[in-house]
Amino acid sequence: MMMKASALTILLLAGASLSAEETSITRLVDEVGDRVPSHTVVPIYPEDARRDRIEGEVQVCYDVDVKGRPYRVAVRQSTNRIFERPSMRAIKASLYVPLDPGEKTSGIKTCRTFRFQLQPLVDDN
Amino acid sequence: MGPRNPQLADGATALKAGDIEDGVRLTLLGLESAHGLREKTAALSNLCAGYMLLGQVDDSLEYCDRAIAVNDRNWRAYNNRALVYMELERYEEAEADVIRGQELAPRAKSLKVVKGMLLDETNPVSPNIIIDDRREPYDDEG
Repeated sequence: MMMKASALTILLLAGASLSAEETSITRLVDEVGDRVPSHTVVPIYPEDARRDRIEGEVQVCYDVDVKGRPYRVAVRQSTNRIFERPSMRAIKASLYVPLDPGEKTSGIKTCRTFRFQLQPLVDDN
Repeated sequence: MGPRNPQLADGATALKAGDIEDGVRLTLLGLESAHGLREKTAALSNLCAGYMLLGQVDDSLEYCDRAIAVNDRNWRAYNNRALVYMELERYEEAEADVIRGQELAPRAKSLKVVKGMLLDETNPVSPNIIIDDRREPYDDEG
């Protein structure tokens, strides 16, 4: 069989110039929820989404057990699937303040919305 | 049967393996004996890539130009030339090559990567993640 001549693309260079900028975080809270976050893990902005300038939003809802660990974690709303996995991972790795013995909650699911945004980089010079 | 143009095939293998100088040398030999549009285009495009990897940007651009002159439907040559233009800070020409490449190969990942690199040069952004724990619906983010 005859081998085809193959053409190359310069992929080595592509990786070298991609620099991950530091992610800024904004927290929005109110006094309505009955569980208090103790350790909030921030999702990673997917590199492909950053590269392709994709923004989006994911709402994740879950229960929190007495020890403060989220369970039954599920995506309720999402504008783009690319953000769902990092959002789920972040919730599963986050913690809430444990309940005191005998303390009861409303039983309403806890929800957290992640908004993935891209901001123009300001040149400090 | 072996490859029709063994030097061209060996040159591509060497380039892929990171042996750039040998890859360029073999590809130049392969170009001399190239038969047909496909081999000639591949040789020129690979030389564009090889010289770029050697840091010889002007040589790289010359071979990219030749690759596109021989076959203006070769998306890899547009991809490679876009990178060359970026190296030369000729961003408008780089963008034009990315657009043309994506017209020819809309799903090519390397073109998406190059487009992202170009945007990072011309329109840099930084990620911001808003973590909204509010239970009540709000119209704004304040």
